[in-house]
Amino acid sequence: MNTILEVKHLAKNFNEKKIHRDVSFSLKQGETLGLLGNSGTGKSVLLRSIIGLEDIDSGSIIYRNKRIDELSEVELYPIRTKISYSFQSGALFDSMTVYENIAYPLFEHTNLSESEVDQKVDEILSLINMKDAKDLMPSDLSGGMQKRVGLARSMALNPDILLYDEPTAGLDPVNVEMVIEVMKRFKARGFSGIFVTHDIPAARKICDRVLILNEGFIAFEGSISEFENSNDPFVQTFLAGQ
Amino acid sequence: MISRIKKQLVISGEITLLFQETVYCIFTRPFYWGRLLDQIVQLGIGSLSITIVIGFVTGLVMTLQFGYGLEKFGGTLYVPAIVAISLLRELAPIFTSLLIAGRVGSGISAEIGAMNVTQQIDAIRALGTSPTRVLVVPRVLACIISLPLLTTLSGFMGIMGGLIIAYTEFNMPLGFYINKVLTTITFADVLGSMVKCAFFGIVIALLACYRGFKTREGTRGVGNATTWVVVRTSIIILISDFFLSKLLILFLY
Repeated sequence: MNTILEVKHLAKNFNEKKIHRDVSFSLKQGETLGLLGNSGTGKSVLLRSIIGLEDIDSGSIIYRNKRIDELSEVELYPIRTKISYSFQSGALFDSMTVYENIAYPLFEHTNLSESEVDQKVDEILSLINMKDAKDLMPSDLSGGMQKRVGLARSMALNPDILLYDEPTAGLDPVNVEMVIEVMKRFKARGFSGIFVTHDIPAARKICDRVLILNEGFIAFEGSISEFENSNDPFVQTFLAGQ
Repeated sequence: MISRIKKQLVISGEITLLFQETVYCIFTRPFYWGRLLDQIVQLGIGSLSITIVIGFVTGLVMTLQFGYGLEKFGGTLYVPAIVAISLLRELAPIFTSLLIAGRVGSGISAEIGAMNVTQQIDAIRALGTSPTRVLVVPRVLACIISLPLLTTLSGFMGIMGGLIIAYTEFNMPLGFYINKVLTTITFADVLGSMVKCAFFGIVIALLACYRGFKTREGTRGVGNATTWVVVRTSIIILISDFFLSKLLILFLY
């Protein structure tokens, strides 16, 4: 499999606080990578850094052999249609309906006609089992439904890589299964993903490899089976803590 | 003290950069006509009733005060001219702009601030679009278009208010009042007032959007942002009004 994204020696500070000291990893085409770690270890910050929502202090981020961490905000816009970010809270536009939220990137970045956009939105809504919620406002949706719509919106443009920021956090088991099913369908299409989560059973179902972030470094990197059978005291403590 | 000055300079620099980006986005594609119309309806038409009331009441009070003040010196005949000039050149632009700064400026900063704390601004960026193009441009243009029109309406309503008081309190013939107003005011007075208000419109929308983008600390931050915008824009409007008036007197009136 080809490497689609590479993060090399990334460092990120917030004032005096060092979030990432030296983070390096790569993501292959079609692979889903689990990013684990305790709260406050900078998992979400890492995802935000990858698409340029946060500036990094040093290191590099390379997407399809092109360095993207040095690009300006305007130069990043086309990259963000290829690397999509699904927010932990959903971050839906609260003045728009579910339909308008999902159609937003389609109207912005494609030349599809209104009927084609309608068709595409219907298709995406079926994927998340929310076809009836088309005309609802985000305030009318439950937390789980908002996350699913956020996930659907980030998939609308068929990106190469989807960055999932804790999509299963705070959901009931039925909704967790539904989100994982959506992620599996996305993966089946050959797309890559980075899945930030605390939910190890969920990671087990979807991830090919896992990384554990700790104190600004990658403390563990390996396949799911290597992770679960690891003798590393840190990994064992982490698993026991979960 | 030095750190406060430094902070103010940083804010000024950031607002200048936002202005520069806004101008760039106005003249490049895509342009959101629908969003602009929405904002004109929301900011402009939504402020119609309060503008009419304020303009009308200002005209009533001005005519009453000038009428009785000048009556002592036999100068009641000058009331229509004084009221019309002062309303069009100063009072309508200032009162309308301060009103819009309070009503619209605080609304914009609260809306964008709330979007910021709920990551909707990040979502706009993450979806490969520019928050300046999507949010700032329609609001700045809506203010530039709406504020001069609202001010002209406010001035007109003030003159109508003056007409009623001049007729009822000072027995001034309606024809005389209207004739005096029409022979006193010129197109330059209306144009000057519109230029001033277009400038105030930019100040209000730009500062409100800027502060919205900088909102942190959740709902408390949203409250602080609205206060910041109303205070800053009011001060800037009042101070810049003096310099704009001076420039307009030199080059237009």
